[in-house]
Amino acid sequence: MASSPRTGRSSAALTAVVIGIVAIIAVIVVVTGADVMGAGGRVLTGLFPPQAVTDRGAKIRDLYDIVFGLAAVVFLLVEGLIIWTVIRYRRRPDQVDLPPQTHGNAIAEIVWTIIPTLIVGFMFVVSWQTLNTVDAISAEPQTKIRAVAGQFQWQFEYLPADYDPQADPPAKPVYTQLAPTGDDGGLVLPAGRSIQLYLYSPDVIHAFYVPQFLFKRDVVPGRLNTFEFTVDAKDAGGTFRGQCAELCGAGHRVMLFDVHALSGADFDAWLKQKVAQASASPPPPSGQPAPSGQPSGTPAPSGQPAGPALQVSALNIAFEQSTLQAPADTPFKIEFDNKDASVPHNVAIHEGGPTGPEVFKGEVVTGPTKTTYDVPALKAGTYGFVCSVHPNMTGTLTVQ
Amino acid sequence: MATDSQALTTATEHSPVAGLSHDQRGGISNVVLGMLLFITSEVMFFGGLFAAYFNVRANAPHWPTLNPETGEAFRLDILPLVGPATVLLILSSFTCQFAVWGIRRGDRTAFLRNIGVTFAIGVIFLIMQGTDYVLLANEGLTLSSGTFGTTYFTLTGFHGAHVFGGAIMLGVILFRGMAGQFSARHHDAVEAVSLYWHFVDVVWILLFSLLYLLPGKA
Amino acid sequence: MATTALHPAAPTYRSTLYEWITTTDHKRIGIMYLINSFLFFFIGGVLALGVRAELAQPGLQYFQDLTYNELFTMHATFMIFLFIIPVLAGFGNYIVPLHIGAPDVAFPRINALSLWMLPLAGMLLLLSFVTGGSAAAGWTSYSPLAQDRPLGATGPGQDLWIVAIVLIGTSSILGAVNFLVTIFKMRAPGMTLFRMPIMVWTVLVTSVLVLLATPVITSALIMLFIDRNYGGSFFDPANGGDAILYQNIFWFYSHPAVYIMVLPAMGMISEILPVFSRKPLFGYKAFVLATAGIGALGFSVWAHHMFTTGAVYLPFFSLMTALIGVPTGVKMFNWIFTMWRGQLRLSTPLLFALGFLSMFLIGGINGVFSAAVPVDFALHDTYWVVAHLHYVLFGGSVFGVMAGLHYWFPKMTGRMLNETVGKIQFVLMFVGFNLTFFPMHELGLAGMPRRIADYASTAGWNDLNLLATIGGFTIAASMIPLLWNIFVSLRSGKPAGDDPWEGNTLEWATSSPPPPYNFDHLPEIRSERPVFDMRHGFGGHEPTPAPAIASSAEH
Repeated sequence: MASSPRTGRSSAALTAVVIGIVAIIAVIVVVTGADVMGAGGRVLTGLFPPQAVTDRGAKIRDLYDIVFGLAAVVFLLVEGLIIWTVIRYRRRPDQVDLPPQTHGNAIAEIVWTIIPTLIVGFMFVVSWQTLNTVDAISAEPQTKIRAVAGQFQWQFEYLPADYDPQADPPAKPVYTQLAPTGDDGGLVLPAGRSIQLYLYSPDVIHAFYVPQFLFKRDVVPGRLNTFEFTVDAKDAGGTFRGQCAELCGAGHRVMLFDVHALSGADFDAWLKQKVAQASASPPPPSGQPAPSGQPSGTPAPSGQPAGPALQVSALNIAFEQSTLQAPADTPFKIEFDNKDASVPHNVAIHEGGPTGPEVFKGEVVTGPTKTTYDVPALKAGTYGFVCSVHPNMTGTLTVQ
Repeated sequence: MATDSQALTTATEHSPVAGLSHDQRGGISNVVLGMLLFITSEVMFFGGLFAAYFNVRANAPHWPTLNPETGEAFRLDILPLVGPATVLLILSSFTCQFAVWGIRRGDRTAFLRNIGVTFAIGVIFLIMQGTDYVLLANEGLTLSSGTFGTTYFTLTGFHGAHVFGGAIMLGVILFRGMAGQFSARHHDAVEAVSLYWHFVDVVWILLFSLLYLLPGKA
Repeated sequence: MATTALHPAAPTYRSTLYEWITTTDHKRIGIMYLINSFLFFFIGGVLALGVRAELAQPGLQYFQDLTYNELFTMHATFMIFLFIIPVLAGFGNYIVPLHIGAPDVAFPRINALSLWMLPLAGMLLLLSFVTGGSAAAGWTSYSPLAQDRPLGATGPGQDLWIVAIVLIGTSSILGAVNFLVTIFKMRAPGMTLFRMPIMVWTVLVTSVLVLLATPVITSALIMLFIDRNYGGSFFDPANGGDAILYQNIFWFYSHPAVYIMVLPAMGMISEILPVFSRKPLFGYKAFVLATAGIGALGFSVWAHHMFTTGAVYLPFFSLMTALIGVPTGVKMFNWIFTMWRGQLRLSTPLLFALGFLSMFLIGGINGVFSAAVPVDFALHDTYWVVAHLHYVLFGGSVFGVMAGLHYWFPKMTGRMLNETVGKIQFVLMFVGFNLTFFPMHELGLAGMPRRIADYASTAGWNDLNLLATIGGFTIAASMIPLLWNIFVSLRSGKPAGDDPWEGNTLEWATSSPPPPYNFDHLPEIRSERPVFDMRHGFGGHEPTPAPAIASSAEH
């Protein structure tokens, strides 16, 4: 019944919609102060992954470019077809008679079944080829490393050349990198050499993800995942950000690690130095290699006789004490008992609360083990104590 | 062009049965079709449990797994309880079908007698299964004793829950039958419940073969 | 039955609420499905705003890590299990019996049971917020994280979550049985399978998916429950179980679930486009075939969620995943060529349908990236995936739901929604949606993982996150005109009449809202557009030879 007023409004409605969209975008541009031209360029480059730094990553990037090209063509054609159809065939006020009642067209339908099939078939073939390269594993990689992902910390074990993941028991690592980030921590890799990585999780599922590798692989408890790659020789000296990519609990977001690529010679020197350091210090009771640690990261006590000792213990990734008290302006000791087997912990003291500025950082130790920290004199006030490895392990230290 | 919406609801002469329920046109009844579809979903439910069973079985070095207390493999005995219970449950499928045939003929006595027997066997099966659980628990096999105990009790437990549900349905059918609610023409509920009971029976035969007959691995 | 009509009517002040609560009328049940779903849509939306607010800037501003995990877990849970799936079931409930000329569904009381299980499940989920924290292991609840273990899911929240999802699943299964029996057994004379509206076909295929897939997640969750509470060892490697097994069973349901969440929306779009183009759907049978094909292929692609686990045979699932794009592409072309050479009335339902087409297209295309397995190694579990799934489920399903709401609101209430307000809502939602989710593609490519409460300010993600947050709040703002429109139109909207849109299908042949048992008379059904045929006297339309009623009764 009311068909004519509606149709009369249709082009006005279209105009209103277009104006509305433009207006909202304009408001957003103004409000956020966006640099439209610069942003336009960024949008385009942002639609591609970062430059790959491994051989496999480069293959994946090539595949991405192919898929992106196909996707862009399909998107522009189909989206354009939709928009053009809507504008071209919107109803005009003088249209009373029905348009031709087309029910279908066998040829057209066959064509638009076959063409997408060919496209996805092509895509499948190229992605399969890439997959075979990416997943290829050589029998004799030049470097073998085991990445251990536990809640919520990475550690990297450098394995001897004869390491066999199937052997029982497997060969011991020559050196274990406990600190996952920082200039002296992280996953140090020789650029230009083939690297095989074994993934191990003692608790829940994690994922090893380095955006610039264009690659991730899950770290599944009860399952050994292995992959291989070579960091481009020209990227020696670079540092890349890595992160856990599979939700693993409250500390998921802090499971970061750095990847340092060194030239082959630098890597050999680095590893040799680390192994020498590790064998110089007495092995901890658990048989784990000693943490590399920061040799002088702990502020030295000022030479006075030490004050009282506080007892702190950690179990199940939590401190067993929630509050501690210490005298003001007096150095004191913390006797720290890490009861978590093969989990690294320490005690760090932060001013004001767990997220405040750090005033003391104890050496990270892997449990089960005991250690004693000498804490310098602190001013009266409230402090937070926290495990540097597990930021959600916190407590309050009152100094008075 | 008749765009007047008034005209839309007036053309009626071709549709003499508009507004009637259309399920009277023969073929399978709504209730039976509904039950068949529901059983399909139950098959998928047990499919998930069976998939898990085969997976943990394939992953385990021994099957059945070892009893941590004695160091020997767990053992399931067909006698004295489970074998007879199996025979009884298979028999009950027959009595259930006799009941259906009875009511199809309009023979209410045969129907009631057979439904009564089926219901009783269902209850007896549950009692025997419960007794068997107690015996197994005494031998140290529980839901929490490793993959074998977990899968055994989960699979048989959910089957038992379905027997329980089926027994309740049979009880309702028996009650309604005694109240004279079923006849040769009107007994869709009986057909549906018998289908369910056959399904429960078939699941048990599969479970029995899997848990008691399929050889383990040492 | 006849005797109930003889009872004197109860006083209205009491009977209205009582009648709604005790009703078995598929239309009232359908409307209550919609109300319940939109309630949880708003709750889930508020949780999403929490997520977006936290991510707007680097640093933890509003929530702690665990609370943040609860936010996104429950956002997904509410949106998937208590909004999209039930809202489509609600439309199905209301529309399917009308579409096939039936007086009600096959099992009206079971239908009521299905409905009332949903608010119960919703309450359990809400309850978990005040009993020590809700589930926080993601809506996927992967084991071992969802196990009762230190740093896992120790509280009762995860158990409440499992119970609620099993309840919702049972509700879905009963609903699917109801739909299937209704569709197979209760079609009006003349309504052969290939004259059913596409909406009915999509509900049919969806119901088959529910019937086959939902019990499987029920089994997975029950096994998880046994692991958590009774010392079971299905999924925890620490006890001899298998973590990957859970993922296999979970995704065997949850991938078909994506089609459960989008097929009925496709069906609604397929009803709306022909009406507003004044043309029949282009390639009806191909469309039906494509729907069935998506349903069948949907069961062979689940492991594409697990490409990075290293535990699945990648080429097979890659091929199947790529292939499922074909029927989806067929549908896209069918829709476009339905509009081609038509006369498009740009009313609100069509605008939302066009939103569906253009956004679902993106959701299809960016999904293909993940079908290429090596590319998925880069994109999996990053914000790219978040963008992809929202382009499918929001750009697709939610725009479809909005189109359906605007299209059938006059039928359900007898009142028209205001067109201008509807268009304002569309523009806000469309712009807000793209503003929120398009930047997430770039965030994902730049390496931002999902499910993190915070990110380093040096990571280069600040601007895009801020943009996404602005977009998120724009979407929230678009709900204001919607609510205002519904509220005002219910009271003083223009009366709709029986057939305000010049519809094609049988619901437009009865009054608005339809009477109990739906039809006083049915028009003759000789095609998938009986009301169109009646209006135009088969104008421009080649009727199939009229079969005798007896022969059309086969099914």
